[in-house]
Amino acid sequence: MSQITVGDLVVELDEDGFLEDHKQWTVDVANYLAKTEEIEELGEEHWKMINYLREYFDQFGVAPMVRKMCKDTGFDQKKIYELFPAGPGKGACKIAGLPKPTGCV
Amino acid sequence: MLDQKDLRPKDLGRQDEQLIKLETYNLMPLLPPYDKPGMQPPITEPKPAWREKYCASLDGFIALDTLTRPQTKEEEDEFVRKFLSGLEKIFSDANNGILEPLLLSFEYCAKCNTCSEACHIYKAAGDNELYRPIFRSEVLRKIVKKYFTKSGKLLGGFVGADIDVNWETIARLGELAYRCNLCRRCAQTCPLGLDNSILSKEIRKIFSQEIGIAPTPLHNKGTMLQLKTGSSTGLTKPAFLDTLEFLEEDTEEKFGIKLKFPIDKKGADILVLHNAGEFIAWPENPVAFAILMNEAGLNWTLSSEMMGYDSVNYGLWYDDVQAKKIALAQMKAAKELGVNRIIVGECGHAHKASIVAGDRMAYGDTKVNVESCLPLLWDLVQSKRLKMDPSRNNFPVTLHDPCNVVRQMGIVEPQRNVLREICPQFREMTPHGVDNYCCGGGSGFAIMNSQNFPSFRDNVASRMKFNQILGAFQGKMEDASQVKYICAPCSNCKGAMRAILEHYEATEKFNLQYGGLVELMVNALVSMKKPFFEFLE
Repeated sequence: MSQITVGDLVVELDEDGFLEDHKQWTVDVANYLAKTEEIEELGEEHWKMINYLREYFDQFGVAPMVRKMCKDTGFDQKKIYELFPAGPGKGACKIAGLPKPTGCV
Repeated sequence: MLDQKDLRPKDLGRQDEQLIKLETYNLMPLLPPYDKPGMQPPITEPKPAWREKYCASLDGFIALDTLTRPQTKEEEDEFVRKFLSGLEKIFSDANNGILEPLLLSFEYCAKCNTCSEACHIYKAAGDNELYRPIFRSEVLRKIVKKYFTKSGKLLGGFVGADIDVNWETIARLGELAYRCNLCRRCAQTCPLGLDNSILSKEIRKIFSQEIGIAPTPLHNKGTMLQLKTGSSTGLTKPAFLDTLEFLEEDTEEKFGIKLKFPIDKKGADILVLHNAGEFIAWPENPVAFAILMNEAGLNWTLSSEMMGYDSVNYGLWYDDVQAKKIALAQMKAAKELGVNRIIVGECGHAHKASIVAGDRMAYGDTKVNVESCLPLLWDLVQSKRLKMDPSRNNFPVTLHDPCNVVRQMGIVEPQRNVLREICPQFREMTPHGVDNYCCGGGSGFAIMNSQNFPSFRDNVASRMKFNQILGAFQGKMEDASQVKYICAPCSNCKGAMRAILEHYEATEKFNLQYGGLVELMVNALVSMKKPFFEFLE
């Protein structure tokens, strides 16, 4: 576990850099996490994905499966890796503040 | 640090920062093309901060991410006391579910070491003393001797009670219980029928039930999450229904099949219980199941009710209380739906949890028949209820035998009968069937990704399996245009396969693919207009 300080906010991260508490997410936290994931700046397409993931998570309490993620955003897997080099789970979901995937996934 | 060859069970009580260290060049050699230098990724060292926080003092790997170093002498003593108290309990009548085989395995070992030769972890680590199946059992025997026998209390080292018992000893023993996949290959080979995996499991149990320590992916984010949300993936009922709806649309778009998942159909003959991880990570598997069962005209359903849509039961690996809660709740969900039987999908530990272990937990009216999917699938092929064209699967295919299904339950032939029928280039691994080796993901390893534990899993625990795969495809490996398919009919095994293929970049370099059994069946269906596998497109 580690801590990051974003502005006035102290945020707890787990060993893999996911937020311990997804409620601590802010736009600034996303920008901060993006830098740790080799993304210089979050652009329009990044935000499309982040907002989509957050909305899905708010509604269902879990991340959507990758295939659904692709279809709903119109990005294929290759595009997702271009936007988020660590991939849909460890990259996109992490920056969107979703918890680390659990279970046999 | 010790040379592993000099390591003895009593050394677990030594104050070294780390007892032994694994080096890639000491591990069992890999077969071509992985025998060349530079083909093996290095072993991950623990970070200094991890050493301070966790128990990295066994072999440098950390499986128990909730086992943190004590701050005071009191905490240290409390930890040892709780372990000893738990140890006393497992040998009491309160543990009657397993007491007899536990006592047999504990008391009758002749130390012939036949089991070591059978253990994939011992062999993969280059005949490493630490991972002998009886090494950890011996540590446990020494502790019991020291604290719970008259001779041990009086005579100590003269009668084998020669171990220092401190925080480090017990913590290392807890870690060592997670260097065993509980695959029971050692038990199968033991001339006396003793089972060292029982001792591994009992140590895990003492840690969880007595001290409250278990790997986060198995406990907090595993059984606890499942009992709270219905699934260890966190998949809630609305999310599950949304996922099914999406898969129906997606299947129609891709294959032109109007797929319908029957949901909560009262009084259906069969309730299919999948590992919910399939819906998220390998959705083609439950889709393939649905296509086959619909085409065969079976009267089946899925459940969307709490505990009715996730077959997993991680309790089996570390905690009897959690295991029982989950098994009974799953059976209750099936009972309420009024089905004749549960068919367990392609998930090995769920097979054992609900067919073998769960069956002994439920009584009378609470019981529902639980069966494996594999004999049913073979029946559909054998009876020609499904029209198959084997030429669609004309690429090399090998079969991985999930330990829980094959060695533990003796379901050996149905799955290979299917493959013989529908895969012209099917070839066995050596050895196979009940003599198979574990994928290295068994007993939770596949989902334990904290700290550097994946490095142990991918380099050591899965090593024998990777060699078996390479062996099965010798002569075919170098041709990267040739698809090679590892059929692993178990979610946990698939997780381990995915990890080793990534670890060795084997899909990228050599076109090694993996998946379940039903996907191959759907790919061979005459009614399919295009290949079911993306890699064949």
